[in-house]
Amino acid sequence: MTDWTLVTLAEAIRRGQTSPVEATEACLGRIRRLDPKLRAFITIDAEGALRAAKELEREATAGQWRGPLHGVPLAFKDLFHVRGLPTSCGTRTAEYFVSPHDSTAVARLVAAGGITLGKLNMTELAMGPFGDNAHHGHVQNPWRAGHVAGGSSSGSGAAVAGGLALGALGSDTGGSIRLPAACCGIVGLKPTYGRVSRAGVMPLSWSNDHIGPMTRTVRDAALMLGIIAGRDPRDATSSRRPVPDYAAGLEAGVSGLRVGVPENFFFQGLDPEIEAGVRAALRVLEGLGARVAELRLPDPQVMNDVCNVIARSEGAAAHVRLARERPEEIQPVVRGRLELGFRVPAHDYIQALRLRARLTRHFVTEVFAAADVLVAPVIPEPAPPLTHATDGSVGELTTRQARFARLTRSFNGLGLPALSVPGGFSRAGLPLALQIVGRPFDEATVLRVGYAHEQAAGWPARRPTLG
Amino acid sequence: MSQDQDRIAQAEYADLAAAMERAAVDLGLTEEPSGFVAALEDGAAGQEAAS
Repeated sequence: MTDWTLVTLAEAIRRGQTSPVEATEACLGRIRRLDPKLRAFITIDAEGALRAAKELEREATAGQWRGPLHGVPLAFKDLFHVRGLPTSCGTRTAEYFVSPHDSTAVARLVAAGGITLGKLNMTELAMGPFGDNAHHGHVQNPWRAGHVAGGSSSGSGAAVAGGLALGALGSDTGGSIRLPAACCGIVGLKPTYGRVSRAGVMPLSWSNDHIGPMTRTVRDAALMLGIIAGRDPRDATSSRRPVPDYAAGLEAGVSGLRVGVPENFFFQGLDPEIEAGVRAALRVLEGLGARVAELRLPDPQVMNDVCNVIARSEGAAAHVRLARERPEEIQPVVRGRLELGFRVPAHDYIQALRLRARLTRHFVTEVFAAADVLVAPVIPEPAPPLTHATDGSVGELTTRQARFARLTRSFNGLGLPALSVPGGFSRAGLPLALQIVGRPFDEATVLRVGYAHEQAAGWPARRPTLG
Repeated sequence: MSQDQDRIAQAEYADLAAAMERAAVDLGLTEEPSGFVAALEDGAAGQEAAS
């Protein structure tokens, strides 16, 4: 059962082929068996999950259905506030982040019938792209122990890939949904800025934070996005735009769609297997009728720098008390990132915000006049060994971090929807991936392209062997 | 923060500051931070009108 997708499990529960309690027990059993090695969870709420499952089972028996996720076990990155559970944000402090409310995204999933299995491991303060965590254990890549799961939503990636949860939520400030999705061979969607409420989620950078689903399939991601998207009075940046039925258009195909391939930046210095995987995916899309063409993008490094200035400044403001009062609790490389934020003058921060506005307007106008979506790599190399994330000086680790997130960060600055989907495997058996980027609020097209590729590539049948 | 970390942070910020200065050299006064959200909304609206 834990090999099922979110959609197939929900349908099986509706048909009475299985039950919320059976599904929850199956996940909890797998967590008990595998998580001591995977380290995907920080908090496991077995009691709460089973209590909710029994209630949902009673309702199902009575013909009452809360929504499309009725009885489906989920888990959430440990920076989403869930009433009754601690929120460490990957720090040593169990209750680092508190909120008077459940996070809106979690509340919407639970209202749709989702069951909370627990809270997922992550990079400390969501600052780092590898998913290592000295406080709660380094999350292992389900495809190959001893390799990173990608971060910062590392537990979300490992839990979904490993079949410990049917779906998860992650957050993405510079790639933190897409990087672990790529490393773990699952689907991860960073929606448009403002598409999903951030209320009740620990901020890292108010201007760059995005919330999104991490799932096994594109259809699962479409379902979860449709539930969590939409205006929320508790998040002033959430958009009032109506939420479409994302699953409805998935099968429309890509014939005639213009797929842009960046000719600058994104394919420079790549691992050859990563490039081969993306090029193969482009041939698949071309075979399905898409019009694939190279195009030159406005230099993404400028937006990467702009994002860095904004994220470091806002991160320092968000975590100033921890950094000033208990710096010894923070891992050195995370502390270094916070310290940089304290050095940014207000003038540079404001210039970065103003530059971001100009760069975004220019990018949207120019690039999407020539293409409907962009396809690019997500990670510069397959998931590296964990020692890549843990061994070396602070300077060396910081350099490796910047390199690993260089292909995702600019789309946080641009606020555009970006989807990571699996794209085959390396010779060493590690997942490859591609990134599909669309116009503002056009998640529907991004998902449609991802779905077309997924169906043609036939990937979802393959699972990691975890015992 | 150790001296080593301090030196790294200083060097890293110097690079970022230089990059900001280069990029902002012709930034007009009418460009303001809220233009970012407007760019997203206008970009979406423009596409809807065209389709």
